[in-house]
Amino acid sequence: MEFKKLPPVKEQLMKCVRCGKCRSVCPVFAEVGIETTAPRGHVFMVQMLRDGKVEPTNEVYERLGQCLLCETCSVNCPSGIDVHELNAAARSYIYENNPSAGKELLFDTLWTRPGMLRSSARVMSTVQRLGLQTLARKTGLTKILPGDLKEAEQMMDNIPSKSARSTLPEINPARGEKKYKLGYFLGCGTDLFSPSAATAAVDVLTRNGCEVIIPKDMKCCGLPHIANGKMETAQKLAAHNIKVFNAYDFDYIITDCASCSSALSRNNMEFLLAGLKIEDEALALSEKVMDLTVFLIDVLDLKIPVNKTAPKLRVTYHDPCHLANAQLIKNQPRELLSRIPGVELIEMKAANTCCGGSGTYSTTHYEMSMKILDKKMDHAMATGADILATCCPSCMMQLNYGCKRNNWEAEVLHPVELLSRYYRNN
Amino acid sequence: MENSKLKQELVKLLGKDKVLTEELDLMYYSYDSSFLTKLEPVQPNAVVFPKSTEDVQKVVEFAYEHQVNIVPRGAGTGETGGCIAVQGGIVLDLSTWNEIIEIDVKNMQVIVSPGVIHAELNNELAKHNLFFPPDPGSSLMCTVGGMVANNASGLRAVKYWATEPYILGLEVVMPNGDVIVTGGMKARCIKNVSGINLTKLMVGSEGILGIVTRIRLRCFPKPKARGIAMAVFDNLDDAPEAVMDVYQAGILPSGIEILDSSAIKAVNDFKPEIKLPDAEAILLFEVDGNPPSVEYEGNVIREVTGRRARTVEWATEPKRMAELWEGRSVTAAASARVRPDGSRIFAGEDISVPISRVADTLRALRDLADQHGIQIVNYGHIGDGNVHTAPVINPEIPEEVEKVIKFVDEVHLLAIEMNGSTTGEHGVGAVRRPYAELEHGKAVDYMRKIKEAFDPAGIMNPGKVF
Ligand SMILES: Cc1cc2nc3c(=O)[nH]c(=O)nc-3n(C[C@H](O)[C@H](O)[C@H](O)COP(=O)(O)OP(=O)(O)OC[C@H]3O[C@@H](n4cnc5c(N)ncnc54)[C@H](O)[C@@H]3O)c2cc1C
Ligand code: SF4
Ligand code: SF4
Repeated sequence: MEFKKLPPVKEQLMKCVRCGKCRSVCPVFAEVGIETTAPRGHVFMVQMLRDGKVEPTNEVYERLGQCLLCETCSVNCPSGIDVHELNAAARSYIYENNPSAGKELLFDTLWTRPGMLRSSARVMSTVQRLGLQTLARKTGLTKILPGDLKEAEQMMDNIPSKSARSTLPEINPARGEKKYKLGYFLGCGTDLFSPSAATAAVDVLTRNGCEVIIPKDMKCCGLPHIANGKMETAQKLAAHNIKVFNAYDFDYIITDCASCSSALSRNNMEFLLAGLKIEDEALALSEKVMDLTVFLIDVLDLKIPVNKTAPKLRVTYHDPCHLANAQLIKNQPRELLSRIPGVELIEMKAANTCCGGSGTYSTTHYEMSMKILDKKMDHAMATGADILATCCPSCMMQLNYGCKRNNWEAEVLHPVELLSRYYRNN
Repeated sequence: MENSKLKQELVKLLGKDKVLTEELDLMYYSYDSSFLTKLEPVQPNAVVFPKSTEDVQKVVEFAYEHQVNIVPRGAGTGETGGCIAVQGGIVLDLSTWNEIIEIDVKNMQVIVSPGVIHAELNNELAKHNLFFPPDPGSSLMCTVGGMVANNASGLRAVKYWATEPYILGLEVVMPNGDVIVTGGMKARCIKNVSGINLTKLMVGSEGILGIVTRIRLRCFPKPKARGIAMAVFDNLDDAPEAVMDVYQAGILPSGIEILDSSAIKAVNDFKPEIKLPDAEAILLFEVDGNPPSVEYEGNVIREVTGRRARTVEWATEPKRMAELWEGRSVTAAASARVRPDGSRIFAGEDISVPISRVADTLRALRDLADQHGIQIVNYGHIGDGNVHTAPVINPEIPEEVEKVIKFVDEVHLLAIEMNGSTTGEHGVGAVRRPYAELEHGKAVDYMRKIKEAFDPAGIMNPGKVF
């Protein structure tokens, strides 16, 4: 990876006028308040790195690593700077020059091998249910995620004992007349931590005339690797997934995970694969990738008959950063929720502020992550909702933990789970 | 004093949490929004985060004793390098000290610590139907302390003027560690002509006379209604004339903004869907007040500007107002994208000229830009003659930088020649010092004498203003 030649580094660093607008939107800066955590500060530091004014050291990595990569600054920057891409590129550059900077994440092993990842999670789930956390810690099983893992362990309790992959067939035929042939990108988060969302997605899609294929040999979307300084691994994963999915003739490639769809989006592919030979194939894939709620609303225009007797449900919605910021998708999830009979959608304050989960961030930066989460939970709880809905398994995990921390009994669900439940009950 | 020793001493004074302890972190305090520090960041010797007057006092007393420079800093959105330790020293980042101490609704005033963000203050005041009228474009991020120090203003300066008239009193830590209160030790009054007005002297002094630690400011009742008029001109000269006509008709809008053809083009290239009409100039008038008066004033503006303008549209409906205003609100972003391989810069960005000479100035700016081969985007607060010029260059190409520095110099000289000032609202800081003598003549000597009287040791934000 040639850091200096990457498009954001080459074209955007000079565009930062240090106006500081990004100071007003960054959730981390809001907690810390000092320039070392400001998006503007990160842009500055990336420039120093590029210009050789600082070395690719662990200290620089640590500074940049305080960022959630939530993209809030990027969507608000008047100069159009992709601050998060600059940051991610710099992390990889540092890692390449100084591998001790990255955490030993086992990324290049576990996360690139879905089978192994799945079995580790399964063992951990069993271990947890047996109440043998200490053993899990000792055997290092919690190390499937980066960071100091006492916390990760707390967050990852209630890991479902069965992954989605182990219960869903590869080919799920459409019920009734077939309208679309869909590839389903089953992200690691959904697969391991929210398998019920995957089951619901397949249920809703097949009910609505879609054949759903979950290619067996797909791998992680690569977003955790980008966030953790391992762009090269992410590139390999992307190349692999491109091959796998482009081999089919899908009408659309659907995912219920905001992070996966943003990783597979045109913007990210252009960033990740800039200058590589596979860029064209990548863009062909991106064209077809679509968030599940967007597909259900914009393509299927799902209509559900009015049902006045449907039980009332108060639902509030949290915007995942990878949907609202990375892809500007805010309406469709809300629209989907409001089409489900009985649902009353109650907006929380600052619905599109990050929950602090951001994939692996909650384990690498536990304290900061919790500060941001607690703010989110205050807003969510103020709605008095029964259900906290969101479209990203990483957010779901974080919000679940938030409910637990705050003794709030709301259920955290993907909108499609609510819909599937409604179908099944009516 | 060595940085590490200085850091140790500061940690002793304030505790570890209020001092930046890592050398690398000092780099993050080497810039503000100025082009100068984008080109040449200058890092301080230490950074502290005071959270009380006592904290500030401790640092200042220490600095006074050891002859170390001290530089107050708010959010670092100044465009002049004002908060940068250009001659080394301790930066006091006051932005983390952000308390709204008291909203005194009955007396229409509010007391704040220096780090409160302008927009956040107005959000709180709105709950009491009050507002603090000056409205810089940096409202979301700049601090009230920074506004006081720079006497900031904004779009609505036409009617509400700058920060200065709203400041009723200040607490200031002087450069020797003394703490003074201006505007009356216990005063809560609004009118006050007792004594030499040190409040006025402090406001706009850009942190070279002392550190503002508490601000008592006056608020106004929040207007209930707003309206926007957009007038489109085929002839640039008609725009300032139309502004005069509106004033002559007895109307004082809250803001009057101009986009010249360069800005119109930039906006249309950036967001074609806004569809600004192709013209020599567009004026945007904002009127606020009570609904009937807003309606009346809007009608007068429509009629009066209609005599010169190609078209005029008046709106009070929020969606349409936002649409009319959108061209102005995206100008900054649009000027950043005029060139894919370039960027607007903040330099020569704030000249102020008599309203009657705005058209001449805009033309002269374009001529200068042509001579130097530099692309510019012009917009600004025409209602008070404040012209914002955004030069667009590639700051990584040395020849372009060299050219733009010459251009900016001539822009500043042009302002003086037009009977104006090199800066209407952003201040002098480190970047406009060279023009002090030219602008103020002998008066600069008296400014220096005041500075010496306040700061005999010369440690208070040196290298700024003159
Ligand atoms: C996008 C953008 C738009 C802007 N729009 C406007 C506008 O419309 N109108 C306008 O007037 N300005 C504008 N500005 C300029 C700038 O935002 C203002 O001057 C603002 O008031 C600076 O506040 P700050 O907190 O960022 O101060 P800083 O930049 O941190 O400091 C500015 C000066 O104040 C001094 N200072 C700060 N705090 C204190 C204190 N407590 N005591 C003593 N001295 C202190 C510093 O030493 C420095 O000299 C804009 C800037 C940007 C980037
Ligand atoms: S908002 Fe954009 S241009 Fe402004 S300081 Fe942040 S990154 Fe730079
Ligand atoms: S991506 Fe999010 S956390 Fe990172 S700097 Fe931007 S706003 Fe802050």
